Amino acid sequence: MRRLLALSLMLVSIFFLEHCRRTEVVSKPTIAVVMKTLNNPFFIDMQEGAEAEAKALGVDLIVQAAEREVDVEKQMQIVENLIQRKVSAICIAPSGSKEIVPAILKANVAKIPVLAIDTRVDRNALAEAGATVLTFIGSDNKDGGRIAGEYIASRLGGKGNVAILEGIPGHETGDARLSGFHEALDRYKEIRIVASQTANWERDQGFNVFRNILQAHPEVRAVFACNDMMALGAVEAISSTRKKNKLIVVGFDAVKDSRAAILNGEMHASIAQHPEEMGRLAVEYAYKAINGQSIPPEIPVRIELITRETLVTK
Amino acid sequence: MPDDIILSMRKIRKTFPGVLALDDVDFDLRRAEVHVLLGENGAGKSTLVKILSGAHRKAGGEVHLFGERIEIESPRQAQQLGIGIIYQELNLVPSLTAAENMFLGREKTTSLGLIDRKALRSSAQSILADLGLRLDYDRPVRDFGIAQQQMIEVAKALSLDAKILVMDEPTSALSETEIRQLFGTIRRLKAKGVAIIYISHRLEEIFEIGDRVTVLRDGKCVGTKNVAETSKSELVRMMVNRELKEQYPRQRPPMGEEVLRVQNLCRRGTLKNISFALRRGEILGIAGLMGSGRTELARALFGVDRIESGEIYVREKLQKITSPRSAIDLRIGFLTEDRKSQGLVLTLSVKENITLASLDALSRLGFINFRSEAREAGSYVKDLRIKTPGLGQRVLYLSGGNQQKVVLSKWLCSKSDIFIFDEPTRGIDVGSKVEIYQLMNRLTAEGVGIIMISSELPEILGMSDRIIVMRRNEIVGEMPAEQATQEKVMHYALGAS
Amino acid sequence: MVNKDILLHNSRQFGTLIGLMIVTIVFWILSPYFLTVSNVMNIAEQTSINALIAVGMTFVIITAGIDLSVGSIVAVSGVVMAGALQGGLSDALGILVGLLIGVTCGLTNGLLISYGRLPPFIATLGMMSVARGAALFYTEGRPISGFSQGFRFLATGELAGIPAPVILMVVVYVIAHVVLKRTKLGRYTYAIGGNEEAANLSGVNTKMIKTIVYGISGLLSALAAVVLTARLNSAQPIAGMMYELDAIAAVVIGGTSLMGGEGKISGTLIGAFIMGILRNGLNLLGLSSFTQQIIIGSVIILAVLIDMGLRKDRRFTQAKGIIT
Repeated sequence: MRRLLALSLMLVSIFFLEHCRRTEVVSKPTIAVVMKTLNNPFFIDMQEGAEAEAKALGVDLIVQAAEREVDVEKQMQIVENLIQRKVSAICIAPSGSKEIVPAILKANVAKIPVLAIDTRVDRNALAEAGATVLTFIGSDNKDGGRIAGEYIASRLGGKGNVAILEGIPGHETGDARLSGFHEALDRYKEIRIVASQTANWERDQGFNVFRNILQAHPEVRAVFACNDMMALGAVEAISSTRKKNKLIVVGFDAVKDSRAAILNGEMHASIAQHPEEMGRLAVEYAYKAINGQSIPPEIPVRIELITRETLVTK
Repeated sequence: MPDDIILSMRKIRKTFPGVLALDDVDFDLRRAEVHVLLGENGAGKSTLVKILSGAHRKAGGEVHLFGERIEIESPRQAQQLGIGIIYQELNLVPSLTAAENMFLGREKTTSLGLIDRKALRSSAQSILADLGLRLDYDRPVRDFGIAQQQMIEVAKALSLDAKILVMDEPTSALSETEIRQLFGTIRRLKAKGVAIIYISHRLEEIFEIGDRVTVLRDGKCVGTKNVAETSKSELVRMMVNRELKEQYPRQRPPMGEEVLRVQNLCRRGTLKNISFALRRGEILGIAGLMGSGRTELARALFGVDRIESGEIYVREKLQKITSPRSAIDLRIGFLTEDRKSQGLVLTLSVKENITLASLDALSRLGFINFRSEAREAGSYVKDLRIKTPGLGQRVLYLSGGNQQKVVLSKWLCSKSDIFIFDEPTRGIDVGSKVEIYQLMNRLTAEGVGIIMISSELPEILGMSDRIIVMRRNEIVGEMPAEQATQEKVMHYALGAS
Repeated sequence: MVNKDILLHNSRQFGTLIGLMIVTIVFWILSPYFLTVSNVMNIAEQTSINALIAVGMTFVIITAGIDLSVGSIVAVSGVVMAGALQGGLSDALGILVGLLIGVTCGLTNGLLISYGRLPPFIATLGMMSVARGAALFYTEGRPISGFSQGFRFLATGELAGIPAPVILMVVVYVIAHVVLKRTKLGRYTYAIGGNEEAANLSGVNTKMIKTIVYGISGLLSALAAVVLTARLNSAQPIAGMMYELDAIAAVVIGGTSLMGGEGKISGTLIGAFIMGILRNGLNLLGLSSFTQQIIIGSVIILAVLIDMGLRKDRRFTQAKGIIT
């Protein structure tokens, strides 16, 4: 009892002191970029793009992320804390397309503009909550999935068994890529998808899951992983078997490691998203929003298929 | 020193806080003899032997080994001097093989630094063969029974080139045939010139295997005799013949009706056909050596261990006591042997410990009535004169005597009228002891019945109204206190008659 | 006469409070955004989920046990409740279903530990896996989203400017404090943790009490799941991962000993807040999440070291481990 009293007394006196201190901090506008995780080179590239643009514009940049892509609640806490920090704009790549909506609503109430990058925020959830996102900056993931599907189909000559490594279920990016991939392969009656499992975007999970798939389906001839991390995990799983260099491996994101793998033949293709471009555009348009300019609701970022040929010619 | 005396211990003194464990003890050992160390619990046998094995340092006296004066400073040094000791709790690693255990820490290595398994096995084999043992030295030790594990310990000591071997109660866990085997091994050891110090109170064994016997009593050496020249009664007399200096304040009230009766209690391995009765106002003393089954009896009466057959009548009604709770509800209280680990929750306060068994009565709808609780606990603290800075003091900080009073208060608070005291004054200073005895008097004057288990013969004789002696899980003697003497009780306890 | 030992004992209790003050003052100095009314409410809201779980964990740890399954129980009770709500059950009934799942998991833990005699570490480790698997199985890996306004009020609503989860947290803490301090259940919990054998020999039904305590832990994990689900408007089968570590950290920083037998609910609340403040403050300062992890981990180690240091002065003769 005594202790609680002491604590409350202390808090009250500090509040009083705080009130006397100048609370309005005049500073440059601060833009916050909240990513899914920093454990993925994709997001590190995004960070670099954002930092370069922020430097050029002369604004402060705060980059935050949760430890793991699965931790949606942590992301929400980060957004709440940024609101307390009175940042000027928030760019976010949501770990949960629906789950992040309550946090966005709080930002709306605090009159902080919100931009979505890389992964869309679920439209229905937004509408239901009455929250708004100013724009989506990202690639057309569905298109990317389709391109990957076409590539595999052509490499397989229109027939064969294919496996898929999915992202975290419910993530809009993963779902879109998957749907595009399926759409492309639907046209090829002689291509069968024998396994489709999630490895939660993570490299070591990709390793484990694909190793199991290989055991169960030794006749698999191609694998599509919804991101490069999982693809690289699959590559490691393959390298310890006799099928080395015989399986077609396609990833998504085209990060540095996967480009290296494509060059030495362990991987065959990836869909490049240009994350540093996303980061740059995010800061550029956030700055515009802060200054009251209107911005388009969709800002597409190009994607391209990266293969050995394209890398060599560059 | 005469030629064949290999070990001589003179005027050995050892004190522990508050206790003189060994008081100028003399002991010597001849080559190739079996010398028995005999005495009650607490007489000083293990202390003496621990000084020899390096586990304790002596406070005074001299030790001469093979004619040279030595100071034994560590178990390792004792081992190097050729002294091996086999404790009751064996010192083997269960998952390693016999051979590995024997050479633990001294494994021979090959030139590459790996353990030389072949050398290990052949050494083990030869030592075991020497002892006339056929054991698979390649199996993990836990696969073997106690008797064989003991043999492995003996072999281990031999492999260390022991000239003196100490065996502490070696036969307590063995069957008849295994005892025969052990004795055979002992004879072989003698033939090899090994001397053995044999601690035991099984008189039959002493007369079978011993050459000489030394009796210790209350930390003093009473005397050493050749086994062939003495008798069981003489040994018993030497063990217990002491002046009963302490006056025990027993005041016997008029006896009331029967409050507890047990008939033919049996539990395999721990209780054999136990029957007795307890009356109001009576203190029934239960005497016996360690391992005779007394605590097991108490646990059975309190519902901690299950009885396989037999009946218990509480206040003349047949009852089934299946748990401590049911015993407590029958108003039985149990002051355990070890109050720190079983009788008290050291992290809780005096008040909380006193009321722990009675919270149902002090609560309503699950909420404890703090005022009643404080009142109850306070009354016992005052009544029993428990020295504590306050009811909220952690019981951990109280002295032994006061801790025991707290335990007693717990059972008073739960309104017990049958008490089981297991070693009530162990580890308690003299002043508090007297207080506890006076409390026992008060309780019996109020009609309480007390069962008192004790290893202190003077206490048994001084406070009991009637005495029961247990040996090897059965009741071997029963007598009213007036007819009891220390010798008589010890006779029964040892099975000497 | 003031016993030196009592003084030392109380200084441990004060230690956590001092820790809270230090952490508060440090961030107050470092960031002007820290000590505002809205941020304090923000911290309280963010802490509430861990705080709820930590209450249950406090009970368990006082009995010298441990519950590693709390995070998975959050997940499985959350998704089953979500399924029930979307299946048409009213808000109240749906929540009840979730709480029941939590209690069931908890009681199962308790039964395995008391009657099955499994070490708490092992039993709850197993449940951690089983419950997580059940959650993933039930939802086929996908989150269940979209609940009614009424349900979400539990997270988004406010009463007199105080967020609903904070009110819930305070209510739960008051109840828990009363139970531990003033009821038989509380007293027996301390007794069992202090010396289970002595408690048993004093007639305490240790098996039943232990089972109930783990049931409480499961119940509170389910309650945390209700708040979490309302907050995110979504129940995920992957929710709650590693939540057990945060809960244990809150309990330990709060001064409850892992050896059992002592501890206070108020200490846990302070411990949970210290962690909440750390996370929030480090976010406000813009430090990367890696730095945050290092700092928070160091604080936990420091807290336990200080606790052990103060403990050496006492002649504590009983030692227990979590694994045994």
